[in-house]
Amino acid sequence: MACVISGLPESIIAAACARSGQRVLHVDSRNYYGGNWASFSFSGLLSWIKENQQNTDLSDECEDWRKLILENEEAIPLSSKDKTIQHVEDFCFDDQDSAEGVEEAGALPKLPVFGAPAAKGVSVGSEESPAEEGVSPGSEESPAAEIPVPESADGTSPSTDSAESAPEPGTTEAAPSESAAQEPKKITYSQIVREGRRFNIDLVSKLLYSRGLLIDLLIKSNVSRYAEFKNATRVLAFREGKVEQVPCSRADVFNSRQLTMVEKRMLMKFLTFCLDYEQHPEEYQDYESSTFAQFLQTRKLTPSLQHFILHSIAMVSETESSTLEGLQATKKFLQCLGRYGNTPFLFPLYGQGEIPQCFCRLCAVFGGIYCLRHSVRCLVLDTASGRCKAIVDQFGQRISAKYFIVEDSYLSESTCTNVCYRQISRAVLITDQSVLNTDSEQQVSILTVPPLESGKAAVCVIELCSSTMTCMKDTYLVHLTCPSTKTAREDLEPVVQKLFNLNTEKETENEELEKPKVLWAVYFNMRDSSGVEKNSYAGLPSNVYVCSGPDPALGNDCAVKQAETIFREMFPTEEFCPPAPNPEDIIYDEDEVEPEESGLSNSAETKPESSAEESSSGADAAVTKEE
Amino acid sequence: VMLLGDSGVGKTCFLLQFKDGAFLSGTFIATVGIDFRNKVVVVDGVKVKLQIWDTAGQERFRSVTHAYYRDAQALLLLYDITSRMSFDNIRAWLTEIHEYAQKDVVIMLLGNKADVSSERAVRTEDGASLAREYGVPFMETSAKTGMNVELAFLAIAKELKQRAMQPLDEPHFQIHDYIESQKKKSSCCAFS
Repeated sequence: MACVISGLPESIIAAACARSGQRVLHVDSRNYYGGNWASFSFSGLLSWIKENQQNTDLSDECEDWRKLILENEEAIPLSSKDKTIQHVEDFCFDDQDSAEGVEEAGALPKLPVFGAPAAKGVSVGSEESPAEEGVSPGSEESPAAEIPVPESADGTSPSTDSAESAPEPGTTEAAPSESAAQEPKKITYSQIVREGRRFNIDLVSKLLYSRGLLIDLLIKSNVSRYAEFKNATRVLAFREGKVEQVPCSRADVFNSRQLTMVEKRMLMKFLTFCLDYEQHPEEYQDYESSTFAQFLQTRKLTPSLQHFILHSIAMVSETESSTLEGLQATKKFLQCLGRYGNTPFLFPLYGQGEIPQCFCRLCAVFGGIYCLRHSVRCLVLDTASGRCKAIVDQFGQRISAKYFIVEDSYLSESTCTNVCYRQISRAVLITDQSVLNTDSEQQVSILTVPPLESGKAAVCVIELCSSTMTCMKDTYLVHLTCPSTKTAREDLEPVVQKLFNLNTEKETENEELEKPKVLWAVYFNMRDSSGVEKNSYAGLPSNVYVCSGPDPALGNDCAVKQAETIFREMFPTEEFCPPAPNPEDIIYDEDEVEPEESGLSNSAETKPESSAEESSSGADAAVTKEE
Repeated sequence: VMLLGDSGVGKTCFLLQFKDGAFLSGTFIATVGIDFRNKVVVVDGVKVKLQIWDTAGQERFRSVTHAYYRDAQALLLLYDITSRMSFDNIRAWLTEIHEYAQKDVVIMLLGNKADVSSERAVRTEDGASLAREYGVPFMETSAKTGMNVELAFLAIAKELKQRAMQPLDEPHFQIHDYIESQKKKSSCCAFS
């Protein structure tokens, strides 16, 4: 089986196929995993932006591979240029020039240039810096004010890779660090560049429903051992120009200071009803043809409760969603509560981009072959049978396979002429404080901003703190997502302006000062190919399966469903992602399991399921990869 | 602990030698089914659990996932002393490590297959000087005979234990000195 590009559904299919004994080749023309599901460091994102802003023409397209097509064959060319990303606009709200010449700090203290004299002494390495758990020495040492930019000679060759990045470390260390401690933390653009590796910025912004299909699959397949998760800690609402926390669990409701006793009782009563609304059809059947918003108005709920339920719990449209849709969504939300914590959502540490890589790892462990930076020119169709029999790669190699999985973005324009795509509007911001400050800085929040004008969609805002390992200390990473009506900036900037302070000048209104300041922002539109029927693609053989790119929904059910459907079509009798055996149980000769002392063994021998299932604290759930 | 290095330098055999004391003879086995292994070692009376991860073959076309580097506390970087190419690629691996690994990761350079010195293509001095350049400890090993395999992991365990316990007043554990004093030289080559 051959798989082209490594987004989430493709990766799940690859893992499932390898797991059931198929030989899998997984190629991706990019040098990173995940396609449009990937996440990037700050510098990685900057190059991604650059790449997507350039309109490279394809005139130099070489068609040599056509010679390899035999007489009884036909070629279905694949597109070599990804056209799924449009309208990329990035903004920096700090002095960008000050960051010129600032290099991203790497893992090794010094990577000498080839042939350079050996570093001082033998022990430049790790010993000198005692283990500072998770603390970046860089951000501690550097003064909060401007960073002295070394006028370095290596700045002359910016194209060479990071191996050359060794501006004399003395410059920063020499700066007085004491004054920095007093001043309020102010992150500059140069610090963002230098600490760029601390960022893992997702192209898609999603959360995992704690009883969603992806969590179930991660647990079932044991892929959960490759990832760690953090609970979303808060569900927020935006009402009357203010951000408020939504009480959603029983404990939240009772502890809430914003609700009156009467409201608490109303809310609990309604939520309890939603949990088994199917048992009480008499409560809602008169409103089945109305919208959920209208139904809520009849339920003796105060306006603020209606707002919370509609926008933050059910997260459905005020004008379009029916009563049943709303009830279903509310029930789903409530059912996910309490499995891992006080909100229904989990977020993968290091970002959503980890998830496809986890499935790729499983595939590789079961023999899947992985090849990044490898593009495919065409599919080879056998005219007699009408089936696809091979692919031709960039080197003109033919690779035969029985089944082919291709992501939508790789299909050429001629294949997709009849396909009508929707778009997703995305924005990513780096900000200096949370949209709702509380005693804890480390919050993962989801906020739904209702449409600011009619005809627009609600905007989903996910704010990540640095402990999710997606941004540097003292910053927040804010993702905004909505189905597009215009360009991403036109769709999302009004919301950004409501929630954040975009002014670079010092003198701003008092009201603006309270809002988090945006340090850096990017907007882009991503093609939404979910929901495209296979028969809309012209001329695809039956053994070529198309996976869609990311969908705009908050959860990951769409990708998992698609992967399972395709897998079942290919191998109707095989089990989809059965649990991978414990690595210790895969035996070459014999294997003795040594008795574990409880003091040391955190959960290698405990099954991931149990740790995931039972952990209901606010801490990281589904822990794997023990050190 | 993550193993890293070109395809075929003996990472999987190295891991299995340490874990089970056995050598997988026969020809090249591309990694299938080896995900990670756990082994508890005792260092100065303290038990240290090592979880050792293999590349799962993704190194073959230089497609190791970034996630692989991320949680590594230690990286064993292997080359094959009979393959110049695998040695030359060490710099490329170090660049990847630099880009994706954590700042305080412990790195060790290992020249494997020291038992087949008749086919040696990389001099011991070359390995040592590369290691010196990057400030990482180095030794030659043999997954087949087991030479220095245990030592490599023990040194890692000692270093990690030291970091976890963090006794500020105690003298720092010197992984370089420890290795220099413990390692066995491969028979034919004197270490400079």
